[in-house]
Amino acid sequence: MLNSSGSSSDTVRQSLSSLMDGRLDEASIDSAFSAWRSDAQARECWHAYHLIGDVLRSDELAVQPARDEAFLAALRAKLAAEPVPLSPGRRQGERAWRQRLVAPAAVAAGFVAVAGALVVLRGAAPQDGGQGALVAGAGAGEMVVVNREVIRDARLDRYLAAHRKVSNTASVQVPGAVVRSVDTVVLETK
Amino acid sequence: MIPEQPDELLVERAKRGDTRAFEMLVVKYQRRIERLIARMVRDVDLVQDIAQESFIRAYRALPQFRGDSAFYTWLYRIAVNTAKKALVDLKRDPLVVESALSSVSDDDDETSRVERELTDGATPEAVLASKEIAETVNAAIAALSEDLRQAITLREIEGLSYEEIAEMMNCPIGTVRSRIFRAREAIAQRLRPLLDTREGERW
Repeated sequence: MLNSSGSSSDTVRQSLSSLMDGRLDEASIDSAFSAWRSDAQARECWHAYHLIGDVLRSDELAVQPARDEAFLAALRAKLAAEPVPLSPGRRQGERAWRQRLVAPAAVAAGFVAVAGALVVLRGAAPQDGGQGALVAGAGAGEMVVVNREVIRDARLDRYLAAHRKVSNTASVQVPGAVVRSVDTVVLETK
Repeated sequence: MIPEQPDELLVERAKRGDTRAFEMLVVKYQRRIERLIARMVRDVDLVQDIAQESFIRAYRALPQFRGDSAFYTWLYRIAVNTAKKALVDLKRDPLVVESALSSVSDDDDETSRVERELTDGATPEAVLASKEIAETVNAAIAALSEDLRQAITLREIEGLSYEEIAEMMNCPIGTVRSRIFRAREAIAQRLRPLLDTREGERW
């Protein structure tokens, strides 16, 4: 990417110019992103082109780039501490979600807390010898469980119905994941 | 496909977890967001803190962004809400210095730029530096050939699409793309000496 004088190639700068107008073809996006990562001059170029646009629209936005650089550096540090907000299709995200919500004790008991509602999992080892158990969820009220079958309460039904509607498009964000359906939540035994 | 939203490419990637795309959006909008917050809060450090917080909140909320509105509109709302919340928290804090607050206003402030900057605590050097940047950009625009100047003006100030500009300038879209790029690069070359950063502060 660097020519003999040490500056970014024109191709990269042209790509960035097109990208900022939303007019870069998909195939070229990856190399533009690689340039962002690897080439400080590509980052400087992106910043300069946007500063120019801002200043054309308003003199108030003529800011020293050193401030902008410091801003991005500080933000990067904070972003590094954030969990990645996940989108559909990221399988490892779903696994991570299950691991966080399923504590060993709860697994043994066959109950899992899902966003405050308690749901009984199929295939869980029987612990209560078939006795009914009244269990309280965290803030979601109570559900009656008999013989490992959930006698659903209206709240759970509404919750599941609401999330089923958006389950195809909603993203899984850890914590507070969307339950696609009770049946597909599979227990992972250690 | 002619995108109505130029940010769509970057937003889609950012939603899939690509932090580079998100960083590019930050660089794009950081100045505007800080200016927006500065209309509500006077303290320069606080403005930056709130701006950082706004971008973090936007990052967390990315999965919920559906593209119903423009990305900047969505980001703008997050920033305003973050600033308002910070102001509420500040007002509750007995240790807060009164000068850190300014009245919340949704309208464009009529206060002169110089007055605001002085109360912001921005140094005279910073004020001069940004004046110099503004002047350099304006001078560079004036020095461009008519075609390049028109292309970048129509794109950046009028916000026209490549297609609209091609129609107005009676030239192919490829020529529009090239003229806009060459205009940007010509101005950037004039700016670069001014933008040279101090040692140790790299992009």
